[in-house]
Amino acid sequence: MPVTDVPRTMPRRSLLASGAAAGAVAATGGSLLAAAPAQAAPATTASLVSADPLLHLLRRATYGPTPAAEAEIRSLGATAWLDRQLAPASIPDAACDALLTRLPLAALDIPGIRGAAAAGQLKVRGYDAMQQLGYAAVARAAWSERQLFEVMVDFWSNHLNVTCPFGDAWDSRVDYDRAVVRKHALGSFADLLKASARHPAMLSYLDNKVSTKTRPNENYGRELLELHTVGLVHTEADVQNAARLLTGLTVDKATGLYKYDATRHAIGAVQVLAFAHANATAAGGEAAALALLDYLAMHPATAQMIARKLCVRFVSDEPPAALVDRLAGVYLAQKSAIAPVLRALFTSAEFAASVGAKVRTPLEDLAATIRVLGISPEPTGITGLKGLYWMLETLGHAPLRWSPPNGYPDVAAAWASPSGYLGRWNGHLNLAAGWHPKTLTRPASLVKHLVPVLPTTYGGLVDALAKRLLGTAVTDANRVALTAFFGKQPTSLLKATDSAVGGSLPYLVALLLDSPYFSVR
Amino acid sequence: MTSNHAPSDTCGCAESRRTARLTRRGILGRAAGAGAAGVLAGLTGEGLATQLAFADTVYTGDVLVVLSLRGGFDGLSAVVPHGDPDYYKARPAIAVPKSQVLAGDAMFGLHPALSPLLPLWQGGSLAAVQAVGQPNPTRSHFQAMEEMERAAAGTSVRTGWLDRMLGANGATSPFNGVSLGASMAPRAMAGPAPDLSLRSVDGFSLAGQSSTKPMAATINSLYADAPAVLAGPAKAAGAALATATALRAAGYTPANGAAYPATPLGAALRDVARLVKAKVGLMTACVDFGDWDMHEGLGTAAPGQRMYDHLNELARALAAFAADLGPTGLAGVSLVTLSEFGRRVQENGNRGADHGHGNAMLLLGGGVRGGKVYGAWPGLAPAKLAAGDLAATTDYRSVIGEVLQRRCGLGDVTQVFPGVKAANYGLATARP
Repeated sequence: MPVTDVPRTMPRRSLLASGAAAGAVAATGGSLLAAAPAQAAPATTASLVSADPLLHLLRRATYGPTPAAEAEIRSLGATAWLDRQLAPASIPDAACDALLTRLPLAALDIPGIRGAAAAGQLKVRGYDAMQQLGYAAVARAAWSERQLFEVMVDFWSNHLNVTCPFGDAWDSRVDYDRAVVRKHALGSFADLLKASARHPAMLSYLDNKVSTKTRPNENYGRELLELHTVGLVHTEADVQNAARLLTGLTVDKATGLYKYDATRHAIGAVQVLAFAHANATAAGGEAAALALLDYLAMHPATAQMIARKLCVRFVSDEPPAALVDRLAGVYLAQKSAIAPVLRALFTSAEFAASVGAKVRTPLEDLAATIRVLGISPEPTGITGLKGLYWMLETLGHAPLRWSPPNGYPDVAAAWASPSGYLGRWNGHLNLAAGWHPKTLTRPASLVKHLVPVLPTTYGGLVDALAKRLLGTAVTDANRVALTAFFGKQPTSLLKATDSAVGGSLPYLVALLLDSPYFSVR
Repeated sequence: MTSNHAPSDTCGCAESRRTARLTRRGILGRAAGAGAAGVLAGLTGEGLATQLAFADTVYTGDVLVVLSLRGGFDGLSAVVPHGDPDYYKARPAIAVPKSQVLAGDAMFGLHPALSPLLPLWQGGSLAAVQAVGQPNPTRSHFQAMEEMERAAAGTSVRTGWLDRMLGANGATSPFNGVSLGASMAPRAMAGPAPDLSLRSVDGFSLAGQSSTKPMAATINSLYADAPAVLAGPAKAAGAALATATALRAAGYTPANGAAYPATPLGAALRDVARLVKAKVGLMTACVDFGDWDMHEGLGTAAPGQRMYDHLNELARALAAFAADLGPTGLAGVSLVTLSEFGRRVQENGNRGADHGHGNAMLLLGGGVRGGKVYGAWPGLAPAKLAAGDLAATTDYRSVIGEVLQRRCGLGDVTQVFPGVKAANYGLATARP
């Protein structure tokens, strides 16, 4: 169901029947309700965000607008901005690169990890490198200039999930990120798929490394069809044939590197969907497996799967079928090249019409919070960065950490939990107030950073902050509620010495980030 | 979230066991159901009247605890068919030797790692059902979980079965249906009835809230007129805060020296016991315990082996849960285990087993007529198998149906499971 179609049935009175609200009314003198006129709830989330197409594009293609990003897209225009984002190597990213040097283990290849372990710098089967990769993913979401690239790395990391940390991939998981996902994130899906199929991390995660001709292990063959490519259009025989054809793709125990072991390969004719192969020799087994992967990458059902998933990420939870079909056509015509599909998506009428139709996931919410508040990395070390990662872990959304092979869910209903909302709210105040993580670098003066020119009234303060943090205005009722937090009216005069623009400002900032407006992207 | 959450699983130690794979609610990406509408509808009732009086519902049935063993639980390892010679033929490397099997009868016995549950089995509050399964077998984890939790095969019903159970029992408060241990609700609770997912009771607090900083009230106001997809969870969070705050203030010490394992499963069951005893109106509670997808290294029945250690954690957690509740508490609780499918009868070449079909369920509760294995055993002779799998002779929904009828006050099981008849094994006594 579209996220916007859920009927509103919540009468205001029942909210007040709850304990939390009962206490609240007392604290605000009971004036809240009287002041808020009864009005119909908006039927959709579209009205919660600015309809400006440039801001719409920023909200979707990045982890959240910043003043600098907004200035850039206004200067370049949508087309040039998108072209630039689709050529990430052309975008200088010095600050983020410098931060990543604090996570050196996340940059190592398999021999590098093993070498460090042999030299006693790392524990064999330890998690240190994989944890650094998780921290790096948070850092990149928050602070990389290559925002769309990082969004796509996250997308493919979920589509071809190898959970991280994962003990059996202790030496290969960070290499998988670099040599498979990041290398091909804006390349072709066929190349990405084949790289994943020949990587020790995937072969370990889905057990193909232990699959043999006498005892084929079906785990990878099944998920390759069901999750990575065509979806549930296959039969059990297809799974078994795929598993047989994939035998031999394994990991060299001595080096930890990928190897094709012909002695493990099951020969004999196979058929998977309409793909048929004589598979006559063990020596030819790897080429036969790669032929299957090429076939699957270019299967129309795979095109539909990838196109729909991209639409769910960037357009809406129930994307228009016509757009999915059109993008699947682009995917096939472009031989699974990803950038042309993204270009077609972001320039489509359906994308333009989808303003406000996506709800932020916990990762998107946290990254957007950091970006909009202008929080930057700590001067040295990674204590604060780790803190951010573990905040996400409590929200069930630490990057790369999803356990099953299907990746994190990407629809609002999956994240619509009271615990999840509470956790986001707590994150907003902790970040705005600088309570946790303490070590991150904050604007020297929050008030000067967010509202350089002090408004004369409490209502004006709310409006200025809403414009700056949300890119839109709040309703009259919300303005009343926010000023009532300080025991004021919108018309109450604001003095520079008031706590609302001093020690209590983080509360107001957090409340705006807690509001429905910020929940939408 | 003011504290830095110490990562409990970043020891970096050499660990031979895998990290969890199918531990979370991996199906949610496909279950874009009406979860938001669900929590929303819950707030229209009269529950949660004040901070100190918990939801007062008319429900007088057992609290149904659903423990989801995600990843494909190997019922053949847990409830061992030691009297079936084909079991030993199919599993030369990983079968549990007859000499190690606990309790049971001429055909079945329990895996030795389940020894902490032996007193409950012998005391008659723990039972098993063998050869249970879904009507339309699939070996896809995700499709199998989706279908198991929708539990309405052959219909277009989109809600989850626990949502329908809550609806049939007149649930009005988010605390009527709670999932513990994760911040996301299970697919089984998707639908219009209220429910609440709590990572933990103690963790459910709002930063900054004080008598002079009415954060919760202001947030409630901000969502007063918001679209339901956002307002639902936000308002449920606000409502649940009051109850959680009161619970936290009261503190909690497990009774009877109950020693929960220091694991997410132990913590979640401890919170379930806490909510049961606090009488917050619980009708059903969900807990996940994953990592059963043992394609490789399932192992022998010895400590340090994957299956042994995992079953042992399960047994220790359930034993602590029963001890904590005590006989009186347990008299009002029925716990069932579910898993999306069992595992292949024939072991694979990696001391594991691939995805299968027929499976075993465990039932724990004061009203359970325990100490025995229910079900019709089809046998493991090759000709008796379904595509290499244990055939399912009992629909898992009919087992739950019998529990719902006898223990949870549900007259008509088809309200929850369309077209399904409750089993009549007598596996539970009728609740007085």
